[in-house]
Amino acid sequence: MRKIILGLLAGCAILPVSGWAVLGQYQNSITLDQQRMHGSVKEMARQGYSIQKIVAPDGAVVREYVNPDGVVFGVAWQAPTLPNLEQLLGDYFIEFQQAARSSKRRGGPLVVRTRDLIVASGGHMRWFQGRAIALKSLPKNVSQEVVR
Amino acid sequence: MRRSDRRISNLVLFLSLAGFLSFLSACGGGNNSNSNSNPPPPPSGNTEAISVNFGPAGNYVNGLFASVTVCDPGSSACQTIPNVLVDTGSEGLRVLSSALTLGNLPSVDVGGNPLQECVSFADGSYLWGPVVTADVQLAGETASSVPIQIISASPAVPAPSSCNSGGGTNSNTVAALGANGILGVGNFRHDCGTACTASSTAVPNVYFTCPNSSCSVTSADLTSQVQNPVWLLPSDNNGVLISLPSVPASGAVSASGSLIFGVGTQSDNMPGASQQLYTTDGSGNIQTTYAGTAYTSFIDSGSNAMYFLDHSTLGITECSDAAGFYCPSSTQSYTVTNTGQNGTSSSAMFNIANADTLFSANGGNDAALVDLGGDSGTSPSTDYFDFGIPFFYGRNVFVGINGTAGPGGITTPYWIY
Repeated sequence: MRKIILGLLAGCAILPVSGWAVLGQYQNSITLDQQRMHGSVKEMARQGYSIQKIVAPDGAVVREYVNPDGVVFGVAWQAPTLPNLEQLLGDYFIEFQQAARSSKRRGGPLVVRTRDLIVASGGHMRWFQGRAIALKSLPKNVSQEVVR
Repeated sequence: MRRSDRRISNLVLFLSLAGFLSFLSACGGGNNSNSNSNPPPPPSGNTEAISVNFGPAGNYVNGLFASVTVCDPGSSACQTIPNVLVDTGSEGLRVLSSALTLGNLPSVDVGGNPLQECVSFADGSYLWGPVVTADVQLAGETASSVPIQIISASPAVPAPSSCNSGGGTNSNTVAALGANGILGVGNFRHDCGTACTASSTAVPNVYFTCPNSSCSVTSADLTSQVQNPVWLLPSDNNGVLISLPSVPASGAVSASGSLIFGVGTQSDNMPGASQQLYTTDGSGNIQTTYAGTAYTSFIDSGSNAMYFLDHSTLGITECSDAAGFYCPSSTQSYTVTNTGQNGTSSSAMFNIANADTLFSANGGNDAALVDLGGDSGTSPSTDYFDFGIPFFYGRNVFVGINGTAGPGGITTPYWIY
């Protein structure tokens, strides 16, 4: 069933979508959120994983990295306003939020490394970029570096 | 006509105020030592004093602060707000409600409702509160009826949940913000720009109206958006020059310099013969090449360190008790090449010392730390170079505002250093 859906996505190449997938969840979480991003999505197959690239009219680009089980193991973004990380990170958001506190860093990016989560979120007004990786969903033979 | 009338009346007011002050001092008996709640003498010309210090919360390393005077539009009801962070990485004046005593700054309305804003910063912090208009005095010049944001300590309507989505904190107190406000003097005129106007097909979660205590996203035309007050000055309005002295590698308690308005408009804001102009892209970025790899980069006085690359890529030790800062066992030198969109290219050198040592030197009393650095990310794929306050020490750095005329008639955003 999943293969059929992937095939459909690849065949259509560009579809209107209304939301983002969520880190650590199945890629069909992309359809769960009905309110966001009025963007288009393009699916690209890679060795051992796939990428869903979403481009919004405001120039925001979000890439989601999906493992062979259909779970989103990475999210990368570049956007004129800070994306909704609560939405992108899903259940990992609270872990990110709790780890994100740093005393003396001001105006710099948020960088978080925990046992199972890597997040970098930075930039400046009009240019925000970052990535998040759910390490336990990262395929064995795939480098973290693909999430970009 | 009306504007020039106002300028004349401001001038008259200023002269009479100056006269009154000199009259007061001529009377003698004034005790300046107990007048620390009074603002400093009215600044003149196009130069504003700035200072790197720990700020009003007492813990802001490499915080660059200025005083800003805001007035009820068209009136002489004014207030000088000290300790406002000077930020070349953002646009617009934002003031903590707790620091504001002017009661009745008029709201900016959209569709008959007061406009509210949620603005997010790279460090995840967010600011929530209404957009109002004020006359903003910068040095001896006044920008009239500027939309500014009040950062609400106890907002009438709570911030929408999307406002909290960056993972950081609501910086609506002096303790959280580390300042009484932010003076955004970056490369653009508006904080959001056309992305937030009605012509946009996907208006981001920045501006809101909240009828019946329920907030929803709204578009805001450019004139309603929070704006860089510099471009609304009557003159010297095409950018700013930030001039800070060098500080010793070991650090300094503080550093005093100048925020000068205008680029090439007065004898005091002429770029030096050896300085070069680097145009930015549409987001305010240039490019930095290190060890053969090009990275996105920007210059940001609102960043309190050199945030560049990451400790694994650099092979540098991260501090164990100051996460995100670099703690090399000996000072490391880095030479990079900065390149503008216009192809202007030159190398820049900076040092990174042990942050723990810097923080504890001189009994922990040093706020100005030139060799402070930390991670920009977690891997080269998304790393970048954020040239924060350390880059400004010992330099004259010019910020050119998009859509204004700079040297040679340039109208795109740029840096000169």
